[in-house]
Amino acid sequence: MAVASLPNQHVEHAEGGVDRFYEETRDLRLTGFLFFLFSDVVLFSAFIFAYLYLRNSGQSWPPPGIARLDVAFAAWNSVVLFGSGATMHYALENWKHGNFNKYAGFLIATIVLGIAFLGGQAYEYTHLYFVDKISWAGSGIFGASFFTLTGMHGFHVAVGVVYLTVLLLQSVHGVYTKEKYFGLTAGTLYWHFVDIIWVVLFSIFYLI
Amino acid sequence: MAVAATHVGGGIADHVHPEPQGFIRRYVFSIDHKIIGIQYLITGFIFLVLAGLLAEVIRTQLMNANGGFVSNNTYNEVYSIHGSAMVWLVVIPLMTGAFGNFVMPLQLGARDVAFPWLNMISFWMFPVAGLMLFSSFLMGAPVAGWTEYPPMSLQGEAGTSMWCAAIFLVGISSTLTGMNFMVTILKMRAPGMTLTRMPLFVWAQLATAPLSMVATTALAGALAALFMERQFGVPFFDPTKGGSPLLWQHMFWFYSHPAVYIMILPAFGMISEILPTFARKPIFGYKMIAFSSVTIALAGFMVWAHHMFTSGLAPFMQLPFMLLTFVIAVPTGVKIFSWITTLWGGKIHFTSAMLFAIGFVVLFALGGITGIFLASVPTDLHLHGTYFVVAHFHYVLVGGSLMGIFAGFYYWFPKMSGRMMNEALGKWHFWLFVAGFNGTFLPMHWLGFEGMPRRVAVYDPQFQFWNRVESVSSYVMTFAILLFFVNILVSLRRGKKAGPNPWKARTLEWQIPSPPHYYNFKHVPTVYGLPYDFSEPLPYRGLDDELNDAPAPVPAGAH
Ligand code: HEM
Ligand SMILES: [Cu+2]
Repeated sequence: MAVASLPNQHVEHAEGGVDRFYEETRDLRLTGFLFFLFSDVVLFSAFIFAYLYLRNSGQSWPPPGIARLDVAFAAWNSVVLFGSGATMHYALENWKHGNFNKYAGFLIATIVLGIAFLGGQAYEYTHLYFVDKISWAGSGIFGASFFTLTGMHGFHVAVGVVYLTVLLLQSVHGVYTKEKYFGLTAGTLYWHFVDIIWVVLFSIFYLI
Repeated sequence: MAVAATHVGGGIADHVHPEPQGFIRRYVFSIDHKIIGIQYLITGFIFLVLAGLLAEVIRTQLMNANGGFVSNNTYNEVYSIHGSAMVWLVVIPLMTGAFGNFVMPLQLGARDVAFPWLNMISFWMFPVAGLMLFSSFLMGAPVAGWTEYPPMSLQGEAGTSMWCAAIFLVGISSTLTGMNFMVTILKMRAPGMTLTRMPLFVWAQLATAPLSMVATTALAGALAALFMERQFGVPFFDPTKGGSPLLWQHMFWFYSHPAVYIMILPAFGMISEILPTFARKPIFGYKMIAFSSVTIALAGFMVWAHHMFTSGLAPFMQLPFMLLTFVIAVPTGVKIFSWITTLWGGKIHFTSAMLFAIGFVVLFALGGITGIFLASVPTDLHLHGTYFVVAHFHYVLVGGSLMGIFAGFYYWFPKMSGRMMNEALGKWHFWLFVAGFNGTFLPMHWLGFEGMPRRVAVYDPQFQFWNRVESVSSYVMTFAILLFFVNILVSLRRGKKAGPNPWKARTLEWQIPSPPHYYNFKHVPTVYGLPYDFSEPLPYRGLDDELNDAPAPVPAGAH
């Protein structure tokens, strides 16, 4: 049989394995993951379109009776999130170069910054709700679009924090090697994706 | 031979794994694309029967101008679920989930789709969503049609929220399938199968997959917003709270116009396989057909507002949408001419599959022509909301998509089951179906011109004669479909053995046994050319062992 002479033979089969016939090459999974991120972009775009459409169909923005958002606070919170993008980048780079300790340090920093961002968002929501009396269902299209979009984004950050924690534990337990680390690549891409979405949301809610 | 395959194919390991044993792993939670394809097929046909029965409720109600068969509210529920089920539970899953899954990996020379587990999960979302959709009858089904425009959909009973959830779920399923197919087609073609050597059915799936991925996700957003507004009062669409009903129409049609291409492009692909096989002639204009699918898919995103000409769209928006819609009809016309030219001078074998394929070309063309009427603003202002629109989309969806499904089924049934369908019954099915279909939908054209509105339970008595013709014809159509199911059951038991290639077709799936082995190909073949040159030898190498009993290579250590 030709089998013995084939390179590329390693196939993870068995129960928890990935695929019956193909190595799920990094390539396949990467392409699949990029498509996934792409449709996530579309989901955000749908709501962003809805927001801009509603905003432009009214007279003034923010609608009468709605307090302005606290831009300075949100800007600092954004810095926290973008900082976590940078630490994530360095985490992956260090993994590729085999510096495990630095990798772990940067990854932990990313997770901590992610949690800090969520904390900031929680503070902002509470403030809006109790002080400015703005809520999801009770403040017209402003509340609807602001809380839906930033909430979707916050949810993505929370999922990301959990995912990065899983990655950290997995890498401690030796799931990834210097050559095979698809999970880390995916985590990094996802985290950058969350960052980029925030750039857009920050611009359309706080800047324009 | 196998070594070359490994190098060219990237992730392809040229050995096979043992088939899982046990009923559950093999037939219920299977990860085999062929089984999953057949699961989609069976589930889709079950929903076809259910949604078809709803159609007969509609037609029975319309026998009399003053109705009387069901209550007005029930009538609204019935047409809403009929349309939703036909679109999301019948045509889309059959086009992509069933035929895409079964045929596409075989035509690629692949052993499965890129992510078999994901494929299994996508499948199981589909029957669950179907049950959810039909369960909405128990809690007051939606009454605003398959398009569920607010504000009516905001006022509907609890079933409307269930509708949102069901469509959301089946939408996720089709998004995941789209991703899976994209990766499969882009990354898992057999060595030597360049993009321009792919069979046209694969091209059609490649054009459809991004539509499922992008458009369906946008729909998910719209459905989520409608759900939130209904359940939690979050205002998006309610004008009294600053929302906009037009926003829903934009979001819905941004999905649903591309979705009509999800429902028709795979059928274009099937027809492009069937016509050359039974005309024994190369397909005319291979590249034109392939590229026109892609053009249609891309341009399909830019015409959605042609559904909204009467909704208060700014006039300066109407003109570009009208012109773009005209333009998108051009690649469709290109295909129709290519098919006719393929048939021209061919030695045509009128099998049931071929009859349905030719029927498709004719009836779909009629639907395309009425589409142009609707796309021009001045005529649409008169025709929108009338039975003319109903006629248009039933010509493209029943005369087109459903005829395509029948054609594909007659064509690939021998591959799926190893047996031939009964040709005599198949021809009865065809002629009765075509007669019943035209009797049902042709009069809708002039009823619409005369102003009969769609979605009404009672109507002006002057329309009664043609409505009766339609209702009676629709029973004929239903009877024809019944014959089709009888044919399937009879042929599964008694059909002639098909052998690997009963049609002498040239794509890869016909070069292996019927039904194929679990692993599809013993050795991944190498491809040297297009599959449509009937006078040349087959453009494949490495298939020598497929039809003998040489064992398939097994990976070291997995015996
Ligand atoms: C030549 C190509 C086509 C053109 C120019 C076209 C044009 C149109 C237009 C302008 C409308 C809106 C009519 C109105 O509501 O006033 C419409 C409705 C519709 N079309 Fe087409 N169409 C074409 C092909 C198709 C195809 C291939 C399909 C599906 C396979 C399709 C399915 C539908 C459906 C389902 C509706 C009705 C939606 C509703 O319930 O309101 N069309 N078409
Ligand atoms: Cu359209």
